[in-house]
Amino acid sequence: MLSRIAESLFWLSRYIERAEYTARILDVNFHTLLEQSKDRYRLRWEPLIVMAGEEERFRQIYAEADARAVFEFLAFRQDNPSSIMQCIAKARENARTIRDFISREMWEDLNGLYFMVNRFNPTEEMDAGPHRFCDAIRFGSHRFHGVTDATLPHDEGWEFLRIGWFIERAEMTARLVDVQYHHLYDTPEEIDGPDNHQWMAVLRSVGALEAYHRKYHSSIEPEKVAEMLIMHPLHPRSIRFSMTEVQSGLRAISGTGPGSYANEAERLTGKVLERLRYDRIEEIFKLGLHSYLKDMLGMCGSIGEDIARSYFYYAVVA
Amino acid sequence: MPLEGLFSDYKAGSFYDEMFSAPDEPRPHYSKIFQKLARMVPSQFEERRQHADLSFLLQGITFTVYSDGRGTERLFPFDLIPRIIPNSEWQRIDRGLAQRVVALNLFLQDVYGKQRIFADRQIPRSLVYSCNHFLREVIGIEVPRGIHTHICGIDLVRDSKTGEYCVLEDNVRTPSGISYVLENRAVMMRTFPDAFQACEVLPVNHYPAELARILRSLSPRGGGDAQIVLLTPGIYNSAYFEHSFLAQQMGIELVEGRDLIVDGGIVYMKTIHGLTRVDVIYKRVDDEFLDSLTFRRDSVLGVPGLMGAYRAGNVALANAVGNGVADDKAIYAYVPTFIRYYLGEDPILRSVETYLCSKREDLSYVLAHLSELVVKAVGESGGYGMLMGPTASRERIEEFRRQILADPRNYIAQPLVPLSRVPSYDPALGCIAGRHVDLRPYCLYDGENVTIVPGGLTRVALQEGSLVVNSSQGGGSKDTWVLRGED
Repeated sequence: MLSRIAESLFWLSRYIERAEYTARILDVNFHTLLEQSKDRYRLRWEPLIVMAGEEERFRQIYAEADARAVFEFLAFRQDNPSSIMQCIAKARENARTIRDFISREMWEDLNGLYFMVNRFNPTEEMDAGPHRFCDAIRFGSHRFHGVTDATLPHDEGWEFLRIGWFIERAEMTARLVDVQYHHLYDTPEEIDGPDNHQWMAVLRSVGALEAYHRKYHSSIEPEKVAEMLIMHPLHPRSIRFSMTEVQSGLRAISGTGPGSYANEAERLTGKVLERLRYDRIEEIFKLGLHSYLKDMLGMCGSIGEDIARSYFYYAVVA
Repeated sequence: MPLEGLFSDYKAGSFYDEMFSAPDEPRPHYSKIFQKLARMVPSQFEERRQHADLSFLLQGITFTVYSDGRGTERLFPFDLIPRIIPNSEWQRIDRGLAQRVVALNLFLQDVYGKQRIFADRQIPRSLVYSCNHFLREVIGIEVPRGIHTHICGIDLVRDSKTGEYCVLEDNVRTPSGISYVLENRAVMMRTFPDAFQACEVLPVNHYPAELARILRSLSPRGGGDAQIVLLTPGIYNSAYFEHSFLAQQMGIELVEGRDLIVDGGIVYMKTIHGLTRVDVIYKRVDDEFLDSLTFRRDSVLGVPGLMGAYRAGNVALANAVGNGVADDKAIYAYVPTFIRYYLGEDPILRSVETYLCSKREDLSYVLAHLSELVVKAVGESGGYGMLMGPTASRERIEEFRRQILADPRNYIAQPLVPLSRVPSYDPALGCIAGRHVDLRPYCLYDGENVTIVPGGLTRVALQEGSLVVNSSQGGGSKDTWVLRGED
């Protein structure tokens, strides 16, 4: 398989996942705030911009982080490279460069998603609220993965899609927990303690509220939410689950068995997974959740870089 | 029979009409489809048309227009009324094209080889050597199995004056459009399944398999597991859809220049598990951009060192490098000579009478008749660098007069061929009207036989009265049916 194709597959699914995750968070945040007091408003929209890592760009365009501004910025802005529209456009662009490789149905589906998203009128959607738009993105992403699973041979190419998909998800979940925790817990002077509704919203945004209730049978507690999103072995949006997927993808490509590694990306993935398996949430909190997650994000970044070094880039001297 | 429904206002006009032999009188090979169409009301037709458009859009069968700065993607307009060719007429076209392809191949072998044709004084050496696309760099290269013209797209038009098909130009560099032939057919079969049941239409979808077979046969390492790739300039090329489509249909890798590397005279592609040797390249990058060490130094689309590997016989290229000389519009005038000289046969298909401005007597005739002639720059294609004398403004004619006088070798002139017309749907008028068409069949040559998928791409000038069929100038396309029999 050509390195360029592998790279495009990796980024294609990263962009889809980023679009879906952003849509989920936007939607849930909006609906949770409908029941909240007005003075908390700003506090609840800031984190979304922080999570996207786009505070500076956002401040250049908008005076205040209200629902409309954040929705427009995260969903539609052409000059925000991680806006949902831009992610979908880039996913399609990547698919276009490899459309001979992916199945015809995948291409038609993604192309259809692109056209559908472009038919949305931003002003109308901002008036109506983000639900309709975000739902369309969420379903678009699900459908893409369904079509992919059902029509693309599960060979190396499929593995690169899986790796890109889940490394993006691991990073997004890490940022979600980090940012929300920082805003809701580390600033008790601004907010009177951890807020159940907001944590419930976090769980709902990743579709994990029901699973939480089943596992903990209790009220929503921040530590448990963090534990669930970081370390749950089987919930598909936990960091641990995501990194397990990345690991099996990498091993399938290199043919490495458990207990060893073929490259730096595999070594780091193994190391991250060891921690996620054997750390306790109490220990993590004692050391500081923020630095723990920051560390994890750093490792994910290094894994991505090493995948590129091992499989995408050539330093051949002719 | 008075015409009804969609055809109610139809006027066949003074041009050769492919569907009607006389007003209200459909030709036998069109009678079944005419009956079906005549029974439809405009809203039914419109519904099928929108269905077809949607399916092109979803598949991304679009070309990009950059003029608005955003790179808008447009559909290549598709007209639902097929162009139909009865079998006997096709047989003659098929033989004529095959003859032409073989002669062009022998010409290319000769000018890049022994050059007998100059010694025998059939064509001036200076004319050939002065072609922009004649590449001295490839003289003496022995191409695999002696094939230069693996894939040819030869443009035909039917002259309304004589009712005869004639050749308008040869495309033996990188003819494009075959993907539209195959996609048009696929969409047409979904949109009008009933029409296919009524008419017996010859299939076209064996093209990719036949092309793949020929490419495989070129492998310098021989047979079986040859590594074949299609070299594309990338997604910004207007034919990118076709490149990916053909690669997918043939099950070969679609590569860009940056995916390949030449080491020790061998071409490799960069894969996730290391370098893999490449045997055959179906190149869709222009010759000038192929190798920055041999041709244009500023090219980033090609592969440095590729020509060295080609010269050494370590990689095969299709089409052969240097074919552009045969596309030159001045050389076109000599193709009947090639057929007589190399094959000892008379040309089956007529060529359009051509005046070479490099000849003194032709030049004075051309300058005296500019308002009646079509003037073309010899090295251009796609409808660029052209003067349509009969419709051009006085200023434009004078502009061309100056250009011709400054560089006579660069221009040829031909009488305006009144192209035949096929009834086509005009969405603005909501009815069917006659529109001019040409036909580009695709010919594959394996060194012994020429295979031509029945029909080819019918391009249609959708603007009323227009004779320009190019997609950049408002042209569209139609499905082309060659019937198993005569009706």
